[in-house]
Amino acid sequence: MKNFLKYTTLLLVVLLMASCEDFLDVNEDPNNPVSVTPELVLPVAQSYTANVMYTDRYINCLGNMMMYNWSQSDGYSWYYDEFNYAVNASFYSRIFTYSYQNTLKQYNILDNLDPKYDYYKAISKIMKAYHFQLLVDLYGDIPYSEALKRGELATPKYDDANMIYANLMTELTTAIELIKDAENPEAVKNDIMFAGVMTDWIKFANTVKMRMIVRVSDMSTPPFTIATEIATINAEGSGFITADVAVNPGYLQEEGKQNPMWQSFGEEVSGTQTMSGKATCATDYVLDYLAGTNDPRIDKIYEEPKDGHLGVPQGLLDYDTPIYDAFIPDKVSNIGPGILKGFDMDAIIFTLAESKFNLAEAAEKSLISDDPKTLYEQGVTASFETLGLTSANAAAYLTAGLTTNLIGYDASSNPIEAIITQKWIAVNGLTAEQSWFDYSRTGFPAGLDNSLLAPAGVDRPVRLFYPTSEYSANGANVPTQPDAFTAKIFWAN
Amino acid sequence: MKKLTIFLAFLLFVGFTVQAQMQISGTVSGAEDGQPIPGVSVVVKDNTTIGTTTDIDGKYSLTVPSSAQALIFSFVGMKSQEVLINGRSVIDIKIEAEFLEMDEVVVTALGIKREKREVTYQTQKVTDTELNRMAPTKAGAAMAGKVAGLQINVQDNGVNPSTQIILRGLRSISFDNQALIVIDGSVATTSAFDNLNPNDIANISVLKGATAAALYGSRAGNGVLIVNTKTGEAGQKFIVGINSAYTMEQVAYMPKMQTEYGTGWEGAYDNVENTNWGPRFDGTLRQIGPTMPDDYPLETQMVPYAPVKDNLLNFFETGDTWNNTIYLSSSNETSKFYASFGDQRADGIVPDDEYRRNTVRINASKKVGKVEIGVTSSYFNDYQNVVGNSIGDQDRPLYWFLLNTSANIPLSTYKDWSNPLSYGYADNYYNAYYQNPYWAIGTNRNIDNSNRLIGNLNLSWDIYEWLNFTGRMGLNNIWGDGRNWRAEQNYNADLQPSHSHVSSFVEETEYSRGTYTGDAYLTGNFSFLDNFTLKAILGGTIYSTDFRSSFMRADNLSIPGFYDVSNGTGTPTIQVDEEKNRNFGFFGDFTLGFKNFVFLNFSGRNDWTSTLSEGNNSYFYPAVGLSFVATDAIEMLKNNDILSFAKITLSNSTVYNDLPAYRTNEVYSKHGSFPYGTINGFFLQTGAVDPDITKERLNTTEVGLNLGFLQSRLSLDFSYFKTMINDLIVATTPSIASGATSYLTNIGELESNGIEVSLSGNVINYRDFKWDLNFNYTHNSTIVNEIYEGLDEIAVGTQGEIPIGVYAVVGEEYPQMKSNIYERDPQGRIVIDPATGWPKELEAQALMGRTTPPHIYGLSTTLSYKGFSVSTTFDYRTGHVYYEQGSQQMEFTGRSLASVSANRQDFVIPNSVIDNGTEYVENTNIQVQNGRQSYWTNVYNNVGENYVKDATALKWRELSVSYDIPKKYIQKVSLNKVTIGFIGRNLMTWLPEENCFADPEFNNTNSNAIGVGGYFQSPPTKSYGFNINIEF
Repeated sequence: MKNFLKYTTLLLVVLLMASCEDFLDVNEDPNNPVSVTPELVLPVAQSYTANVMYTDRYINCLGNMMMYNWSQSDGYSWYYDEFNYAVNASFYSRIFTYSYQNTLKQYNILDNLDPKYDYYKAISKIMKAYHFQLLVDLYGDIPYSEALKRGELATPKYDDANMIYANLMTELTTAIELIKDAENPEAVKNDIMFAGVMTDWIKFANTVKMRMIVRVSDMSTPPFTIATEIATINAEGSGFITADVAVNPGYLQEEGKQNPMWQSFGEEVSGTQTMSGKATCATDYVLDYLAGTNDPRIDKIYEEPKDGHLGVPQGLLDYDTPIYDAFIPDKVSNIGPGILKGFDMDAIIFTLAESKFNLAEAAEKSLISDDPKTLYEQGVTASFETLGLTSANAAAYLTAGLTTNLIGYDASSNPIEAIITQKWIAVNGLTAEQSWFDYSRTGFPAGLDNSLLAPAGVDRPVRLFYPTSEYSANGANVPTQPDAFTAKIFWAN
Repeated sequence: MKKLTIFLAFLLFVGFTVQAQMQISGTVSGAEDGQPIPGVSVVVKDNTTIGTTTDIDGKYSLTVPSSAQALIFSFVGMKSQEVLINGRSVIDIKIEAEFLEMDEVVVTALGIKREKREVTYQTQKVTDTELNRMAPTKAGAAMAGKVAGLQINVQDNGVNPSTQIILRGLRSISFDNQALIVIDGSVATTSAFDNLNPNDIANISVLKGATAAALYGSRAGNGVLIVNTKTGEAGQKFIVGINSAYTMEQVAYMPKMQTEYGTGWEGAYDNVENTNWGPRFDGTLRQIGPTMPDDYPLETQMVPYAPVKDNLLNFFETGDTWNNTIYLSSSNETSKFYASFGDQRADGIVPDDEYRRNTVRINASKKVGKVEIGVTSSYFNDYQNVVGNSIGDQDRPLYWFLLNTSANIPLSTYKDWSNPLSYGYADNYYNAYYQNPYWAIGTNRNIDNSNRLIGNLNLSWDIYEWLNFTGRMGLNNIWGDGRNWRAEQNYNADLQPSHSHVSSFVEETEYSRGTYTGDAYLTGNFSFLDNFTLKAILGGTIYSTDFRSSFMRADNLSIPGFYDVSNGTGTPTIQVDEEKNRNFGFFGDFTLGFKNFVFLNFSGRNDWTSTLSEGNNSYFYPAVGLSFVATDAIEMLKNNDILSFAKITLSNSTVYNDLPAYRTNEVYSKHGSFPYGTINGFFLQTGAVDPDITKERLNTTEVGLNLGFLQSRLSLDFSYFKTMINDLIVATTPSIASGATSYLTNIGELESNGIEVSLSGNVINYRDFKWDLNFNYTHNSTIVNEIYEGLDEIAVGTQGEIPIGVYAVVGEEYPQMKSNIYERDPQGRIVIDPATGWPKELEAQALMGRTTPPHIYGLSTTLSYKGFSVSTTFDYRTGHVYYEQGSQQMEFTGRSLASVSANRQDFVIPNSVIDNGTEYVENTNIQVQNGRQSYWTNVYNNVGENYVKDATALKWRELSVSYDIPKKYIQKVSLNKVTIGFIGRNLMTWLPEENCFADPEFNNTNSNAIGVGGYFQSPPTKSYGFNINIEF
């Protein structure tokens, strides 16, 4: 027994020597860093912004489907749910998912930095406001004040959409103040939207504010006092954006590095047209409308096939009657060269045209003192220029349509209808969700067709459903699904 | 290779001594019936390395040193006898039966052998005979149906399938549930087990449950398979043997699919469609594929619009596997030696799939005085060349392209895919959306090489008769590389206007993992106060593993056919990963015996792990057990001829599951699209982590009963266990709005219960006729007791296409399938939407059943008569469900049986109702809209309920018929043993009617999301062939 103990002790000593602390100290991940500097976080967040707008079946695509802009060519079964207006818990739920788990999560990192990174912080607040507004406009009440806390709060409550709007307005004001009041801030690097020019960020913040103001401008009790907010914008003085706001990190013709819309609807890296590009085309209605108004933008927004423009009604089932193969991709008007410019094109997340139309509406409603007609015409011109046409083309279009309702501002029976209808053309293919929101709010453009597969007795959906995952992971907080056709977002009621 | 050289040098050191010898022969027969007994071990007393076994006629012949005094004859179930030689050259004896169980030895943790009576938990042994009867290429597959509590899943049926080894069901939600594998004393992995040549395995001991394995610390939770390789049997003379097997593999059955309708869309014929929504087959000659221009060297292809019999089945070839092993084995008093060389070559059922494997093993040991040094070493190398699995512009597996080939397509006419004048050529191929499967084989290859070197050095020192020191060092190194490439395909836009260009890529991978283990322990045996014994083990163990891998991918290659990363355009994707994992522990194990019929065992181990933070990384694993041999303890049970052995065991243990490396921190990763020039970008991973995360805790209580009847000719083993799992390490699914997709933390409680029954015995043992039977039954159930407040389920794995997935749900069996279902009235009738006639779906997903079988039955039996032997194994699993993913996919293409169930027209859903606001009214006249097609492709196929199927399967896994040629014929040609046999594997599978697509055992992943399969794997196969074993 004595020996037994002796050998045991010896064994223990040997093993203990082998097992000092260093031996176990190998748990630092050599593959992934635990912290990174803000200039490595920001460009990813901004690329997420572009992705959630422009990737196949994200926000812009949804807008184009709901607004009867886009349809489907023969040989593809791509957009059946869209044509059925099949709003359910999985329909476009990726917008909700991607926004929170990628875009907002990534921007939120920048909102929790030291004061020396106040510029980054301000950018974070502005971009969060931009995305949260989109989410409210799509879903109504959403997780906001308790959102993005990750492990700390697994089940964030849903905040009232109205309250979120009010808070976003405050956050935008705070962001502008942060920029103006920052002391020795670190300059912003790797900013793939405004190259670190902070006055551009202030203008963009004001522009997002104006989008919100116009959105609630028909409400009897809006979430914030419109006059006060306009006074704040005016007092701040930087004004609004003067060019399209776009994300562009220097997109490359390489796998995973192309502009997301080009990647989805344009060409693969090898230069061949993508499947979604072939599958997606104009509707008959939108082509008829543009052709009927002699709008030269028709050839920019939609590609002209060799036998002339051809659109497909949404929800067509039998493509081959009366003419076999009439609607194959080669023969229909796919998305055009003014929208799909190339692998390195800008991902436009806010068009100058829209900003001008928003201001025009504000002016028409006397919320601001500028001349609505001038702003309206600037909006049309900006749209032409974004699509690759010239201001001269725009002037010609406006002159020719001087006496035409919905082209000539003074000739239009309802100036708001003219503004919204022109905005519909301007954002066709580029942030088309904005005209979907306008449609819910104003009913314009009037006379828009519905899908052949649309359910009877309804117009078009006015919102999205909360995703299934919220019912399993956040069941106590998520509201019951509102009616997709009648429960309008608060600003449209 | 350097390491191999060292081992070889060691072997030279192991010498063989020669001395004066004499020859003894004779016959051994039973004392009761006088029949000769084959297989009786005959060894020289005091020198057990010299010996032999009796042949089929009970005869033996042995060369013994002239110094030998006596021979010992022993046989399982018989009393061993010692017979003095006294200079005789012929010794015939009769031996008597005895109680079998009394001295049965079982292998326990650390490879320590104990008498079965001492062991306080359940173990089961699989012998090399049982394993190799079927000449398997992998040992895991050969264990199916043979061990109670063990579930072996063969994931797929490629040329190199992987196996999943699960003991007693699933216990962990997030982490590995596979049993620990220990090879020759060193902790290894399932893949190391797969890499063994089954011919080299001497036996496998299955230590069921955590208690049996508690000495293995954090890896113990899932039970252990202790695998020992052959070392050269005691008393064997020099043997050289060859084991050869040839098997051919064929598709056992194809999915059942409709053969009434062909290519088309919405009822109209279409000559380029992959979908089957065309008109009903009418036998007329119709154009298929593109319209060829007038000046084109090919005519437009015309084929009868009628089903082509077995057009998909005939795509598959007969696979061939040649498996040869040469082995040599020898031993004397002080040395043992075993060496083998194995060579396996296989062609798969998929054309051009091939696999080659070589194994080398050298095991040797030498005893010098009180010290025995042993080496076990093996080298494994394989090469696999199979079709790639991201084929075409949609990155699909090969099977997908077959499934998208309509019934009217004469697939075999497209073989000549590289010839521009063939209809198989890309531009001429009929299908506008998916490519020719023959083309896929030629233009997508995945080639892998892997190597594994295992070496174990053992030292055993009998310091005293009662005290032994054992030291062990093991290394297990694996390294390999692979290349996966895809060729570019462009299309003639006139012939193939819809086809998307297929881009080219090449991927290169390299990896290596080095695992080093060390154990040292003392075992002491003491007896005191006359009736008491104590067996003690004290020791320590250390484990370290380093992994490194690199991956490179280049896209859009410039030079066709040149598959090197330098040939890519754009920035190549590069990824390098490393992982280090370490731990060490000390353990002690004490078994106190009283009168050799009561044993009380205490064991404990303390582990320190590198994967948790300092101060939080030390864990103690205690276990306690009791064994009571009633037939020895209770006077009235002693010497009972009917109940000859009865043992009751009771045990409890606590073990912890460790966390993998690098899980305690939230991390950033570089975004795949970045950098853009000088702009780089990192993103915060979507998984959030609890900084205070700890190990998960498993507490197991187990009761066991071992009974032997009729002098232990029949034995019954029964066990019941209950495991409570707390502090589960779970990636919980928070609201997406939290900004995280998962939150890794310790929560909840699982409760796992199970019973295992194993009945085995020698039913008939009359003269030359013998019938052995082994039946086993396993039941287990894991219930989720708690997750945490406000959260009642966790997604383990969900599917993208429709709302369906595998979950852990509070109060329910785990793993649980959930899917969306129809809305039904209280009578279970489907509620339809009166506007469309379509069924309404419930938004919330419903419980569909568990995905692991609650009941597993295994039956294996051997009949032998003289040299003939027939063995067979059946396996029946029932009570679970699986998601038939393939059928769901085939709904869209109109190839499923369901899609023709209403004759492709609008119809009234049988047994459906309308909710008129106050009551449910039977629907007699509202037909589903678009019943011709889009009801199926867009409504029916979105309901998961339609595709969750009964996963019950009865499999005839094995049949072997073998014949040992009598020695009198073969000795003339200097052979010692010749066995020839027929073997068959997976000969029949019986599935429920509703399961028409695939083998429910197949799985898409090796993870806990068991129960999803169908189109990533090629169809199930059966195989049969011959084997021959010759020993010189």
